[in-house]
Amino acid sequence: MNSSELLGGNEVKRTPTEANGNSSGPRIGVFICHCGSNIAGTVDTSKVREAAEKLPGVVAAKENKYTCSDLGQDEIIAAIKENKVERVVVAACSPRMHEPTFRSCIQEAGLNPYLLQMVNLREQCSWVHSREKDKATEKAIDLVRMGVAKAAKLVPLEAREVPVEQSSLVIGGGVAGIQAALDLAQMGFKVYLVESEPSIGGRMAQLDKTFPTGDCAICILAPKMVELARHPNITLLSYSEVEEVTGFIGSYEVKVRRKARYVVEKKCVGCGVCADSCPVKVDNEFDMGFGKRKAIYVPFPQAVPLKYTIDKDNCIHFKTGKCKACVKACANEAIDHEMEDEIVELKVGTIICATGFDTYVPMKRGVYKYWEYQNVITGLELERLLNASGPTGGHLIRPSDEKTPKRVAFIQCVGSRNKKIGVNYCSRVCCMYSMKNAQIIKEHEPDTEIAVYYNDIRAFGKGFEELYHRVREEYGIEFIRGRPAKLSEDPETNSITIRAEETLLNKITERQFDLIVLATGLQPSEGGKRIGKILSLSLSPDGFFMEAHPKLRPVDTAIDGIYLAGCAQGPKDIPDSVAQAKAAAASAASIMAGKNVKIEPLTALIDESLCVGCGLCEEMCPYGAPEVFESDKGTKAKIVEALCHGCGTCAAACPQKAITANQFTDEQIASEIVSALGGIGVTAEKAKKAAKKAEEA
Amino acid sequence: MREAEKTFISGLREKLVEDKIIDESQLDPDFAKEIVKYGGKDVMTCLQCGNCTGVCPISLKIDYKTRSIIKFCQFGLKKFTLETRWVCATCYRCYEHCPADINPAEVMIALRHIAIREGVIPPFIKMAATNLVKYGQSVKPDPEIERVRKELELGDVPSRDQEYAKVVREINLLVRSTGYDRLIGIESEVKS
Repeated sequence: MNSSELLGGNEVKRTPTEANGNSSGPRIGVFICHCGSNIAGTVDTSKVREAAEKLPGVVAAKENKYTCSDLGQDEIIAAIKENKVERVVVAACSPRMHEPTFRSCIQEAGLNPYLLQMVNLREQCSWVHSREKDKATEKAIDLVRMGVAKAAKLVPLEAREVPVEQSSLVIGGGVAGIQAALDLAQMGFKVYLVESEPSIGGRMAQLDKTFPTGDCAICILAPKMVELARHPNITLLSYSEVEEVTGFIGSYEVKVRRKARYVVEKKCVGCGVCADSCPVKVDNEFDMGFGKRKAIYVPFPQAVPLKYTIDKDNCIHFKTGKCKACVKACANEAIDHEMEDEIVELKVGTIICATGFDTYVPMKRGVYKYWEYQNVITGLELERLLNASGPTGGHLIRPSDEKTPKRVAFIQCVGSRNKKIGVNYCSRVCCMYSMKNAQIIKEHEPDTEIAVYYNDIRAFGKGFEELYHRVREEYGIEFIRGRPAKLSEDPETNSITIRAEETLLNKITERQFDLIVLATGLQPSEGGKRIGKILSLSLSPDGFFMEAHPKLRPVDTAIDGIYLAGCAQGPKDIPDSVAQAKAAAASAASIMAGKNVKIEPLTALIDESLCVGCGLCEEMCPYGAPEVFESDKGTKAKIVEALCHGCGTCAAACPQKAITANQFTDEQIASEIVSALGGIGVTAEKAKKAAKKAEEA
Repeated sequence: MREAEKTFISGLREKLVEDKIIDESQLDPDFAKEIVKYGGKDVMTCLQCGNCTGVCPISLKIDYKTRSIIKFCQFGLKKFTLETRWVCATCYRCYEHCPADINPAEVMIALRHIAIREGVIPPFIKMAATNLVKYGQSVKPDPEIERVRKELELGDVPSRDQEYAKVVREINLLVRSTGYDRLIGIESEVKS
């Protein structure tokens, strides 16, 4: 009895060369990675290799301990040369990890880099099925079979290069925006900094001192603000809003609305005579409502640019058409009540988004009576009350009677780490700013009694733990571990009693304080949310902008050429914001320094002969890549390749099937599905049966 | 000595003081899951902030600390939690304030379910259940109560009603068919 009889009548024993060499399809090489024990610990890779060898078109199947290592890559190159491999399947980790590695590897061997198919055996197989080794091996074989089927249908693609505009837009003039702008300007790039407020400086300018060192915030920030305003490479657009952003990496077109400040910037010298003559007094937002300003104002003395702005809502002239006291006072004729908003158009290569944060406003019912009791204030309000250039000249008073409080309590985690209000994250700075403020109060009034109600102390940064020790040892600040349950006010003295469990004592305590400071958390800024929509940036679950990769691309966004800096990406302290700003500037510079940028060819394509110009693709696309236009053949759509991310949404939506996504064509996907359903030699009938069986199961 | 013990271990759990050291044999690692099974939320997410204790009207009056009961649950110290007094009035104030969005009141209910199934049954539960199967109400009919009701013009208690015997029979049937009588050990009281 010979072997062919054993195998049954029609079967002929196949050798690899016979089985695979005679088909007209491309010659495929399969490379299976062990990833140490990450894959091989669960999946029986030799079985996968044996199965791969038998697949149609496969001329080489190899295993490697680490395919991404030099050795592994050399083996791929050797196989391409020796076995004349034309398509490469790498069964390893997620394409997000090593697809670029293997693309450049096969390019080195002379293949088009897009003739590579990654099969994810790690994240999507071995890691998730570590307890079912047999089934994991079966799945791995299925995945490789699908990958090989798709590889046979791959076509070569070419990346395109576009020139990069040598300028950058920085949105937001807080410490992060200022630092990013300065760094880029120093490197020789043109920078436009857009700030919505009349002055740059952001939240840092409002602070009294910085933790843990106690440096005066504005003293260290002001020199940077001045340097920025004077730098020849920087155009400062204060009191302006970004209205529209179109284009793509290398050539973004930006429309900026310069809000009318009713003062001609070139003529204003910042003398302040106008403000002296202005009869209107309103709360100053910069002082969190504690101080007053005029209707024509600069928010704070160190403002940059030191140009006055008229607050239209409160100016008497805009209400009644009279007054004009400021116009009479101004010797330089700088004031122009007829001024209108102006649209400035910019062209930039990269964008840095540094839109910062707002603090949580404890306005919800039950949140420590912030609206009800005068003597409950927030951390940022305390900063203004402690600030030497603030409304009280740095003397701490309590709002109800303007007396110096003798007993002060800080309540931590207000608007952070609270699932009830949907804020699950830690704001990272509140522990330290409360300690810092407690220290400042003690320095001003050494006999003040201070208690901090906390849940957990996060003193993780450089010098933070030392500050924690200092405030306890040197300043005698008391830390009570417990979240206050109830605040009640004494109607006569306006002092407030806090009831809380001292959890370490297992006792409920009640203590009276003159002033309560809520350590309010950080939230994404309202202006930032608007910018996020304009730039189509994605958000993390916490509402801050999402970085491209939490570990390895922490300043990039999913959109090429747009970077994040500072608290727009998540709560941060000043050194972290500055560090991220510098990183964002370096990332933007690395694009602009290259003069040209490569654009991936994995984009959608529109077959104009099929397109009916319905515009559905334009509506569906999250990146604004399709454009409907009028041609001599009627209304058609086209894809702006540089904007396209190849997500395939338009291809799926197109009712005419006029759109195909490169490397995800219908033919390629269908070949994967057919091979997933039936394996080798699948017929339509078999596939149907398999589908029916799956349905029944 | 006793006073100090009370301070640190809230006095409720004298057994804990006796044991002094808790070793692994006393811990039940799956206890948190069991609480979820009986309708409580995952106690492992508790941050131990103590807000629940502070707002609890019971905690203010007697030595009963919501937070520390949750801590025992996290730790898996089942036997201590089962002896928790049944004083929670399920007013849900703890739930309203909890930043971790746990509902401590429902954890207390789950603990009661578990305690019953473990045979830790407070006498008043048996008493109330016995009254229920006998009279169709958890409080035993009392001439004094009836007199006060008359004064307040609240009408007779339903158990005085002849028609109510049918309801009591149905209650008995329910108690027997669900196995509640066997669960709390009042089989002898249930009419077949």
